[in-house]
Amino acid sequence: MKNPILRRDVFAGAVLVAAGLFAGAVQAADTIKIGVITDETGRAAFYAKPVTEGVLLAAKEINAAGGVLGKQIELVVEDDGAKPDVSATKARKLVDEGVVAIISNSSSPATQQAQTVSLSTKTPHITPANSGETLATKLDNPYFFQLGPLASTQIKTLMSYTRSKNLKRVAVVGDNSGLSKIIAGVFEKSLKANGIEVVASQIIPIGSRTGVPQMQKVRAAKPEAIFQAGIVGPQMAQFFQAYHQLGMKQPVLASFNLSIPAYLKVAKDLMDGVAFIDAYDPDKERTKTFIAAYQKEYGSVPFSLPGYGYDGLYFIVDAIKRAGSADREKIRAAMASTKGWSGVMGAKGSSVNLSATDRRGFDPEGAVVRLIRDNNHGPAVHSGTK
Amino acid sequence: MAEIGELLVSAVASGCIYGLMALSYLLIIRPTGVINFALGEWAMLGAFAAVALGSDLLVPALQLPHFVSLVLVIVVIAAIGALTEILTVRPLIEKGAPLLSPVLALLGVLVISLQVGTLAGGTEALPAPPPFGFRRVELGVFAGTPQAFYVIATAIVVFGAAWLFFERTIWGKRFEAVAINRRAAALMGINLRAVGLLAFGGAGAVCGIVGVLTSGGSGAFYQMGLPLAIQGFTALVIGGVGRVEGAILGGLILGLVEAFAARYLPIPSSLVLGVPLVLLILFLLVRPTGLLRAREDGI
Amino acid sequence: MRNAVCWGGALVCLSAIGFAMSSYHLELYQKLLLVATLAVGFNFLFGISGQIAFSHIAFYGIGAYAVVILTFKLGLPLAVGIVGGIAVSALLAAMVAIPTTRLEGFYLALVTLAFAQLLLVALGAGGELTGEDEGISGYGLPDFFDIPLTGAAYTPVIVFVLLMTLAVILRLDNSYFGRACRAVRDNPTAASAMGIDVARTKVIVFVLTSTLAAIAGMAYAFVNNFISPPIFELDRIFELLFMIIIGGTGRHAGAILGAVLLYSIQFLVEPLVGKFHPLIYGFVVVLVILFLPKGLIGVWDDIVARRRRAAAPGKPS
Repeated sequence: MKNPILRRDVFAGAVLVAAGLFAGAVQAADTIKIGVITDETGRAAFYAKPVTEGVLLAAKEINAAGGVLGKQIELVVEDDGAKPDVSATKARKLVDEGVVAIISNSSSPATQQAQTVSLSTKTPHITPANSGETLATKLDNPYFFQLGPLASTQIKTLMSYTRSKNLKRVAVVGDNSGLSKIIAGVFEKSLKANGIEVVASQIIPIGSRTGVPQMQKVRAAKPEAIFQAGIVGPQMAQFFQAYHQLGMKQPVLASFNLSIPAYLKVAKDLMDGVAFIDAYDPDKERTKTFIAAYQKEYGSVPFSLPGYGYDGLYFIVDAIKRAGSADREKIRAAMASTKGWSGVMGAKGSSVNLSATDRRGFDPEGAVVRLIRDNNHGPAVHSGTK
Repeated sequence: MAEIGELLVSAVASGCIYGLMALSYLLIIRPTGVINFALGEWAMLGAFAAVALGSDLLVPALQLPHFVSLVLVIVVIAAIGALTEILTVRPLIEKGAPLLSPVLALLGVLVISLQVGTLAGGTEALPAPPPFGFRRVELGVFAGTPQAFYVIATAIVVFGAAWLFFERTIWGKRFEAVAINRRAAALMGINLRAVGLLAFGGAGAVCGIVGVLTSGGSGAFYQMGLPLAIQGFTALVIGGVGRVEGAILGGLILGLVEAFAARYLPIPSSLVLGVPLVLLILFLLVRPTGLLRAREDGI
Repeated sequence: MRNAVCWGGALVCLSAIGFAMSSYHLELYQKLLLVATLAVGFNFLFGISGQIAFSHIAFYGIGAYAVVILTFKLGLPLAVGIVGGIAVSALLAAMVAIPTTRLEGFYLALVTLAFAQLLLVALGAGGELTGEDEGISGYGLPDFFDIPLTGAAYTPVIVFVLLMTLAVILRLDNSYFGRACRAVRDNPTAASAMGIDVARTKVIVFVLTSTLAAIAGMAYAFVNNFISPPIFELDRIFELLFMIIIGGTGRHAGAILGAVLLYSIQFLVEPLVGKFHPLIYGFVVVLVILFLPKGLIGVWDDIVARRRRAAAPGKPS
């Protein structure tokens, strides 16, 4: 005799299905989604990938400690290939998936185009590492917050570091990538505003085979110091090779790009004594904890980039806690009223402060100057702009 | 005066790289008429191969002496060239497809090579140890890095070999014969397939050499291919596609113009990048056959 | 009359779909329509007229920058910005086309490439006017009778540009001029012998298609209300070229098919193949050139032809 399908079986089945749906729904509401736009394949990959690693580490830690507001953090990572066009599309994808905030780790132009989406969809949007000078001001986007050290902060810190040298004539060298040109432009403006003459301003183009002609021009102008704004690997190597080959001795002062250890490989032994800006002081207590956690997780020593990403996520989570909810408007308000927050990045005693009208959070006194010694990043030798 | 000496060494070294790229274009264009834009990416692959073989990056277990890795890289990239010829170019030529088809297919090969190089090599600039180290070498009034002189010396050897090949060997004559008249050459018993294979293999070998030379200088970089392809093509257009001497002439002219413009032209640095482009446009518009004519013209 | 109804219907349908989409799919759709517009124009330039020009994306950029600079940096009325942009693009296209009529094949590709790179150099050195590497943002279209032209409401503008481009290209193709273009592509000497002014034909095609690309660029400028130099870089011309080749060189339907496939696939298959999609495209292009020279649309044609033969056997094929 066939087993009849009893009414109670149907009823039980319906309950199970409903429970499953309900559980699914509850599950979905159990996580707080945060979007990350990174570059895996394009020209920003070599700095975006480490930053994203920092975000992942932070997420792991936060979730292990119970998440935020009783819910786990779910990261949704998208790759934009450093294409500004794609970055905006990916931002929309993230918003459609219900993220409460977006972290932009890709290039500055990509972050800028993604902002058009965070503005129109009213989604909190941060960049932990981009230093693009006008990112937080060009598009009056109240949802966007910039935590990276501005080029203007970097040059002011370098100028205060060299104050005792009483520099009067300097040179600025970079490459023709977008970021380098932006940094070089800000450096020059700031130097001139401080009565320092920029006697040579040179670009070593991407694809160039040598930096000799440009550095000869710099040498002929007899600067007292050279400010390095570049970022592209081969051109950085060419800069240092030409510098040494031409017998130049001026101090080299570099932007925060040199806090990326990658150059120590391709310009090995050529960077001794170079001063660079960093937002990362390995001697700071909070940073030491981060270094230990990172080593445990990845087995290698971290540097500035993962620190930015790590701080970025912790910052968002802090804002969510203060907002007391996952409502995007409340998160934005919490971000805009951040006072005295500090994380891994920044000099000892520095903090992140934001307001609705000034959404650039990096402490103007928070940059440090470090020296390269023995093919390694040395300790901080100076901090702030005083 | 010392400055000019330094500038000349640097300019000539760059010019040699451009000339070598132009030579690799020429090796393929002469017998087959095909323009292989993927050559720049092959040089990039050669550069990463040099890093993998010669340094402790990428493949830590392997750290071969420079000249061993040079030979290996030449073999590997020549093999890539030969494989490309067999798989993508030969079928199209033998099918009678228009000349544009292999050129477009090679653009596909360009993208494939670029992607493979990026996925394997990563997005950082990686150096191979320069065989003669780094310092300032002075030869009379000329001064440069050992690598710069090494590049020049290598280019002299390669161009010498290429010149001998075309002028003195039977295979060189075969190349010329195929270049002049493909059908007649086939009728005379020249093995078209062998010529095509040798052309692509040879071009690959030269690209491999360029890769090794550049990786010892500013490192292997996943985006180095396209600028090299454009620079090589510019050198070719300037010098003339008909003769080996044209390739090195074009390369040197490009290198010198670039260097002296960057050093002495009183225009902002951000505009100097336009100089090679303007040079290319001028030659393409005014004298696309280049400065040197092929042997058969004007006989 | 029937024609107008067809086009009008297409405009309404293609625009209406936008309203049913999530904002992510809508953005993809709008950008896809623009890429399809570029593909149709490029197909006429490359596939039908035989000119490999690597400047097509540059003109996309020129159009975008022209309308934004004229309207928002120089303060001219929008209509003037649009017309001025078209004029600037046509002029620049003529400046590129007229001296280069002698150049064939890859040599033309390289000179147009050099021009495109020069444009990037100019954009990067243009100071406040071009926004240099930070780009230009913070502008937007005025409302259209109180309807803000953003999101789904902007789709009709893009669809209009696509349909207009398609209409112009189709009209051109189905005329004496279209046949002249093909003649010039296949055998310029013979075409000249037949009385076709080869140089004039080439210049007209180049200027026309480049201007159409510029108009598409103008439409693009208002999708995200942000333009910057990386948007107009070299890799995109390879993508465009591959779309035409894979879809079917010389066929309008092929261009659209290629654009739809290559553009949407990279987003749809990303979860599966991630960063390998350009590698896959490279392989597909080589395979298509080797084994499917007529492109995917050629495969479709064969299927249709076979069905017809099956339906009417005995008729000479």
